[in-house]
Amino acid sequence: MAELGRAALVVTLGLSLYALAAGAAAAHLRRRRLAASAQNALLAAFVSTAIAAAVLFAAFARDDFSFVTVAQTSSRTLPFGYSLSAFWGGQAGSLLLWLLLLTAYGAAAVLLNRRRARDLVVWVVPVLGAISVFFSFLIVAVASPFHTQVAPADGAGLNPSLQNPYMLAHPPFLYLGYVGLAVPFAFAMGALLSGRTDERWLVATRRWTLFAWACLGIGQLLGAHWAYKEVGWGGYYAWDPVENAALMPWLASTAFLHSVMIQEKRGMLKVWNVVLVILAFSLSLFGTFLTRSGVLNSIHSFTESSIGPWFLGFITAVAAASLALVFARLPLLRAKTKLESLVSREATFLYNNLLLVALTLTILWGVAWPILSEAVRGESVVVGRPYYDFFLRIFGLPLLLLMGIGPLVAWRRASLRGLLKTFAWPFGVALLAGTGLLALGAGSSIPGLVAYSFSVFVLASIALEFGRGTRARRSLSGGSWPRAFSDLIARNRRRYGGYVVHAAIVMLALGIAGSSAYDSVKEAKLRPGQSMAIGDYTLAYRRLVERPAANATEVRAVLDVRRGGERLGTLEAGKNAYTVEQQVSNEVAIRSDYVTGEDLFVIAEQIDADGAVYFRVFVKPLVNLIWLAGIVFVLGSLVALWPDAREERRLALRYFEAGLPAAE
Amino acid sequence: MTALAVALAAAVAAACVVAVALPFLREPSARADALAEPDERARLRLSLAEARDRALIALKELEFDHRTGKVSDEDYRALVGPLRREAADALRGLEDGAR
Amino acid sequence: MVALSVAAVLAVFLLYTSLAGGGTPSLAPSELHGRAGEVSLAGKVVGPVTGDAHAGGLHFRLRDIKGTSRETVAVVYAGSVPDLFRVGRDVVVEGRLRNGTFEAKRDSLVTKCPSKYAPKKSA
Repeated sequence: MAELGRAALVVTLGLSLYALAAGAAAAHLRRRRLAASAQNALLAAFVSTAIAAAVLFAAFARDDFSFVTVAQTSSRTLPFGYSLSAFWGGQAGSLLLWLLLLTAYGAAAVLLNRRRARDLVVWVVPVLGAISVFFSFLIVAVASPFHTQVAPADGAGLNPSLQNPYMLAHPPFLYLGYVGLAVPFAFAMGALLSGRTDERWLVATRRWTLFAWACLGIGQLLGAHWAYKEVGWGGYYAWDPVENAALMPWLASTAFLHSVMIQEKRGMLKVWNVVLVILAFSLSLFGTFLTRSGVLNSIHSFTESSIGPWFLGFITAVAAASLALVFARLPLLRAKTKLESLVSREATFLYNNLLLVALTLTILWGVAWPILSEAVRGESVVVGRPYYDFFLRIFGLPLLLLMGIGPLVAWRRASLRGLLKTFAWPFGVALLAGTGLLALGAGSSIPGLVAYSFSVFVLASIALEFGRGTRARRSLSGGSWPRAFSDLIARNRRRYGGYVVHAAIVMLALGIAGSSAYDSVKEAKLRPGQSMAIGDYTLAYRRLVERPAANATEVRAVLDVRRGGERLGTLEAGKNAYTVEQQVSNEVAIRSDYVTGEDLFVIAEQIDADGAVYFRVFVKPLVNLIWLAGIVFVLGSLVALWPDAREERRLALRYFEAGLPAAE
Repeated sequence: MTALAVALAAAVAAACVVAVALPFLREPSARADALAEPDERARLRLSLAEARDRALIALKELEFDHRTGKVSDEDYRALVGPLRREAADALRGLEDGAR
Repeated sequence: MVALSVAAVLAVFLLYTSLAGGGTPSLAPSELHGRAGEVSLAGKVVGPVTGDAHAGGLHFRLRDIKGTSRETVAVVYAGSVPDLFRVGRDVVVEGRLRNGTFEAKRDSLVTKCPSKYAPKKSA
C-alpha cells in the first residue's frame, strides 16, 4: 500500500503545481473556467492528501513495520491511541500532518468564500498552491513517509515520555495553529495581488485567525502541562528555542487580532496589518523549521535532517516575496484617517501591538543569536533564562496593565477627566489589593507584587465592563439581569468573548507570577523514617516500593504528607525503568490544593541502593490557575468565534448593495 | 497488494484529472469566459457601504458607551456630531452612487 | 510615534545586552584552554562516572561532540542529574574552569536527546 500513498502524494504535488500555475494564469488573464479548474485542483489536493494520510494511519494501525517510519516510532506493545502520537511523532509523518491540514484549510477557505470574494479567491488559490507545492515537494522528494524496508520483528517504540494524552493532543493543536495562519496570510496576499483595498479579506479570515490563534494557545498550554507533569523538572516553560518557536507566532497573531480591529473601526493601519500577518506566518514556518530540523543546539533538538536548508530557503522566499508585494502596493494601502488622540482605544491597541511585537522580536533574537554567533564568529553562545525573564517583565507587565486600560477607553478620543472617573474604582481596588498583599509579605518579589496588582486592576475593569454593560442593556430592553447579561454578550460576542479571554490571560499571569516569584524549594536526603519540612508541609519518607508494570519497572518512594497537624495523604515519587526502550524516566508526585491553587511538587532525584532518597520539593503557589486559565481561554474563544446572525445579515446587505453575491 | 495499490493509485489520479478538467468538460466552448469580478462601480459602492457601516456601528457603540458611563456627557457631545456627519455623508454617497 | 517607540525598545534592548552580555559563550572541551569566566560547556560524556551529585559531587569527563579531538576535560558537578545522562550522551553544563577542572554550576546539567522525537529536559 505504500505505493498508493506515494502516488497520492505525487498527485498532490501535481495538483498543487497546477493550482499555482493555472490559478496565477487565470487570475492574471481573468479566465473563469481556468480559475474554477484551479480551485478544483486545490480541493482535490485535500482528497489525495487524505488518502495518503489514511494509508499511513492504516500502516500504524496494523503495525506494518515494512514502513520505515512506522518501525522507527511504533512498536507492537504500543497502545493503539498512541499510534497517532507516533504518526505525527516522526518527521515525515508530521510533515504529512502539516500538508493534510494545509490542504484542508485551503479547501475550506476557498469553498466558503468563492462567491462573495471571487476576485480575491482567484488570487488566494495560487498562493495556497505555492505553499502546498513546497510541502508536498518536501514530502515526495526529501522526507517521504512511505519509504519501505524489510520489516523487522518489532519497531523501536515511542519514547515513553510521549505516551500520555497531553503529548497526543499537543502536536495537532499546534499544527492547527501554525497551518491555520496560512489562511489569513493567503488572503492578505490575495488582496494585495488583486489590488483590492476593501476589507473583505479581513472579514473573510477573521474567524479563521481567531481559531488558529486559539489552537496555538491551547497547544502551548498542553505542552507546558506535559513538561510540568511528565518531564518533571519542577517547571512548565524553559524558554527553550522549541518552546519559543510556538510562542513567537502566537504573540504576533495576538498583535494581529488586535490591530485588525483598528482597521475595521477606523480604516487605519493597513500596511501594519499586512506586515503583521506576514510576520505571523513566517514565524509559524520558522517554528516548524526549528522543531523539525536539528538546526539548533537546543536540548530539544531533533536529528539533523535534510529538510533544514529547504525550509530556510522557503521562509526567506516567502518573507521576501510578500514584503516586496507590500512595497509594490504601498500607494493602495495608504490610509486617509489618522490617529486622533494618544489617549484613545486605537492608541492603546497600538501600544499593545508595539509591546507584543517588541517581545516577539526579543525572543526571536534570543533564539537566532546563538546560531548567528556561531555562523559569524565561529563561537556559539547560550542565551539563558535571565535574558527572557527580563524582557518578559519589561514588556509583559505593561501589556498586562493595558489589558485593563484598553476596554475602559473609548474609541477616537477620551478626555482625561472622563478617564479618571472611569478608572477610579478599578484603580482603587488594585491599590487596596496591592497594599494588602504587601502586608501579607508579597513584597519579597517586586515584579510579583506588580503583576498581582496589575492583575487585580484588569479583573476589576473586566468586571466593571460586564456590570455596566448588563445594567445598560437592562435599562434599554428591560427583563431580568441574567437575560440582560446573555443579551449583552450575544450582541457583541467579539468584545465580551475577548474580555473572557483577557480574564484567562490574567489568570495565566497570576499563576505564572505566583509559581515563579513566590515559590519555595527544599532539598534533603532522607532515609526511610526521616522527614523534611517545607512551608507549612511536612513530608515523612516511609518506604521504597518496587512494582512491575506493563512495559517498565516502577520504583516509588512513599511519603506521608501533613500540613499543620492535619494528615493530607500519601505521595509516591520515583522513577520508571523501561525495559524495551532502555530508558529511565522521572515520575514526580504532585499534590494540588484546589482551594489555594498551590502545588506540592516532589521529585525523587536520586534513589540509592540502600533505600536513601535525595528529594527535591517545591511549593508552587497559584500554579493551578495556569491550567484553569486554559479552560477559561477556550470558553472565551468559543464566545468570540460563535457565528453571529446579526453580523451575517449586515454583511449580506452590504454585499447586496455593492452588487456582489450576498451569500455563499 | 501491489497490483491493488497501483490500480487504486491510477483511479485516484484519474479522478483528480477529471476534477481539474471539469469546468472545461462542462462548458467546452464558453461564450463568456471572463471572470465575473466586481467592476469599478461595484467596488466603489462596496467601499461606501463599508464606510457607512463603520460610521453606523461607531455611532451605536458611542451611544452604548455613553449609556454605560464609559463616555462622559461632554465627551459624548464632542464626538457625536462628527460621527453623525460621517454617517450622513456615507449614506448620501451611497444614494448618489445608486443614481 | 512608531519610530519613537522603536527607538525606545532598541534602547532598552541595547542597555540590557551591554550590561548583561549577549549570552554565555558555548564551548567544546577542546576550546576550553585557559578560558576564564563563566561559560557553557557542550560535550560527550566519557566514563568512568564516579561520585554522587548530591553528596560530594559527580565526577566525569567530557570530550568534543564533533570533530576528531581526543582531548577530555574533567568535570565536577553537583545538583540534579537528568534521566538521560549516561556515558556517550551529549550534555551541556555551565560553570568555569578552575585548576584544570571544570567546576559546574549547580543544577545546570542538561542533556541533548540523541535521535527520536523526544523533547527531554531536566534543568
